[in-house]
Amino acid sequence: MTTTSPATRASTSKSALSLRQRLNRADVKYSPYVYVAPFFILFGLVGLFPLVYTFVVSLNDWDLLKGAGDWVGFDNYAIELADPWFWNSLFNTFSIFLLSAIPQLIAATFIAAVLDQNLRGKSFWRLSVLLPYVVTPAAVALIFSSIFSEQYGLVNNLLGSLGLDPVLWKHDTFPGHFAIATMVNWRWTGYNALILLAAMQAVPTDLYESAALDGAGRIRRFFSITLPSIRPTFIFVLITATIGGLQIFTEPKLFDATRATPGGAYHQFETTTLYIWNMAFNQDRFGRAAAIAFILLVIIVLIGLVNYFLSKGIATNETKVSRRRAAKRLERHRAAGRAAVPASIEIQQER
Amino acid sequence: MKFSRRTAAVAVVASTASLALVLSGCSSDGGSGNGDEKITLTITTFGTMGLDGLYAQYEADHPNITIKATNIDTGGNALTDWKTKQASGGLPDIQAVEEGWLGSVMEVSDSFTDLRDYGADDIKDRWVDWKVGQATDPDGRIIGYGTDIGPQGLCYNGKLFEAAGLPSDREGVAELFGGADASWDKFFEVGKTYHDATGKAFYDQSGFIWNSFVNQQEEGYYKKDGSLNIEGNKTLENFWMQLADAQKAGLSANQAQWDWGGGQAFVDGTFAVFVCPGWMLGVVKGQVEAGGGDATSGWDFADVFPGGASNWGGSFLTVPTSSKHPKEAAELADWLTQAKQEVASFQAAGAFPSVLEAQTDPGVTGESELTKFFNNAPVGEILASRAEGVVAQFKGPDDALIQEQVVGPARTALDAGSADGPTSWNTLIDTLHQLIG
Repeated sequence: MTTTSPATRASTSKSALSLRQRLNRADVKYSPYVYVAPFFILFGLVGLFPLVYTFVVSLNDWDLLKGAGDWVGFDNYAIELADPWFWNSLFNTFSIFLLSAIPQLIAATFIAAVLDQNLRGKSFWRLSVLLPYVVTPAAVALIFSSIFSEQYGLVNNLLGSLGLDPVLWKHDTFPGHFAIATMVNWRWTGYNALILLAAMQAVPTDLYESAALDGAGRIRRFFSITLPSIRPTFIFVLITATIGGLQIFTEPKLFDATRATPGGAYHQFETTTLYIWNMAFNQDRFGRAAAIAFILLVIIVLIGLVNYFLSKGIATNETKVSRRRAAKRLERHRAAGRAAVPASIEIQQER
Repeated sequence: MKFSRRTAAVAVVASTASLALVLSGCSSDGGSGNGDEKITLTITTFGTMGLDGLYAQYEADHPNITIKATNIDTGGNALTDWKTKQASGGLPDIQAVEEGWLGSVMEVSDSFTDLRDYGADDIKDRWVDWKVGQATDPDGRIIGYGTDIGPQGLCYNGKLFEAAGLPSDREGVAELFGGADASWDKFFEVGKTYHDATGKAFYDQSGFIWNSFVNQQEEGYYKKDGSLNIEGNKTLENFWMQLADAQKAGLSANQAQWDWGGGQAFVDGTFAVFVCPGWMLGVVKGQVEAGGGDATSGWDFADVFPGGASNWGGSFLTVPTSSKHPKEAAELADWLTQAKQEVASFQAAGAFPSVLEAQTDPGVTGESELTKFFNNAPVGEILASRAEGVVAQFKGPDDALIQEQVVGPARTALDAGSADGPTSWNTLIDTLHQLIG
């Protein structure tokens, strides 16, 4: 090593750098930014710009056909937060979300557990549960809309032949939500089941074997081994289901497609995204629609944060548990070791 | 604007008046289909306008032109489609516009090509004058060529009438409803007689009856000065109560508009009358056929309408300024609305021509698929007779929105029987305040 101070070394090298060296240095310094640039440029174009644009629109009395109107500040937000139709749409969104997410995840777990068994023609069954996912939502909506038709639909015909009263799927609130949730479930259950199945297959078989040796039955093994092991995947499925559920549009839009008021005759299954669309493209109120879109963004971010802390809590819980267990084991080992050969433990710990 | 050789050539082909001749001066190879550049024209229509069969013919006559047509199921959906594209781009070269949303269109009439630049003044005598008047904006620009108008007659099911002990022949039915003095009171009275005899509903749902009544008024949802005309309008309110009474008496079948159980309601005797503007005849035929029926299902068309002459709907072909080929688009729109083509679309869909020459054409007054379907009713003659005395009503900017989102929910509640007349009328007024102001 020489005794040159870092400062002088830097100054001499700087003046002596050839173009090639400088290019090299620039390469090291700047090219990483160039490599990550495509994402940020794309994000700026299709993510950030629309976001900012929407925000600007939401501050104007913007008409769809006539363009920007007067600057109104946050008036649009105030109007929407006081509008009963806005709250109606939020209620519908959450109602349909709960009606679909809960049964869907339960069914998906069950189906995944069944597919996880040693079935004959495994691939056939696994592909079959994914089949509904291939059908476009628009086609699903048209088929279910016909099935749930009030006067001519399959479901009401069946109810009628059982001597029951027809259900007003397209006029009553809860039946409408139920019918739409059915569509969502039909389409997404198989998809979620496959993801959960993948997680289940990653559970080590020796866990099941030792549990079986300890006398745990099938059901006990499912609840005590399978479910805890797939928890992280389960949370992932829950989060994607939440995001999808809060943006549900096609199903309610096409459920009563010939109706001029979107989301049912009385807006009884008008979800928030549908409400935004109606506000913008039927009522021409672009500014207010943009404001609702932003409120929805805030709601989704809030729910995302809740999800984040929830999953973080669970993750830390798990590490806590494993750390505690490791510590306990070590303690026991030490205690046993101290009694017998303390030296060997010291060595082990050194390692 | 610069004109390519191709546009000039096409201009000659279409032989539209003087402008084309001037342009052709610089082109020596003008002639049918000699255009050297392929042009694709997009056109968006809705419902059953009866234009679909004509595109192939135009393409055959103009080999350089390809027509890409989109047809949207209902006028309401077409309105949404237009608004979306008006705001964000993507409008076709030719956009069909319905009379009901002409008010919205006129708000932005400067984004439509002034067809006078392409010879509209030379051909405007082609149409009934009020049709041209409707398509003229406040600055005198003509932005649309009229396709059809919607004079209304009464569709009825002869078999069901007969079963109820009512006259079932066209003259008898016209007489039953009061002939030239037909009134809505009489209409509901006949409905009650029918209901008493059969226990079945008389009409499919109240919405179309309401539309017909509103369209019949000298001023509809708007006054001529552009102000709203709903709250405190006793004429409309009283009719609403009449509809409520009729619903209570079991006259409405509470069917879903534009759905009708996939057409089944048209063939299983659910209801016996249906208000029919010309273009609706094609809808009825389509619904009956979708429901598995045919000409023997009993539908017929009578030369009578409660409350006198009424026009519901009718459309225009416009050329948005965003079109890259406004000239060719205007020529196609011109061609599609010529007498011969309007006759063809009448025969296909019952779209009654707005072109005078076509109205008296044997193709309209004579036999067609449609007359066969409607028990050999001379539908053309009947519609011509129903068109007499029609007055164009002023349509305000939110006419379509009022029709669909203000009246719609209240009317549904009324038909479902979940709200009585006064309650649903109050709902209507409340919604009006919420949505329009």
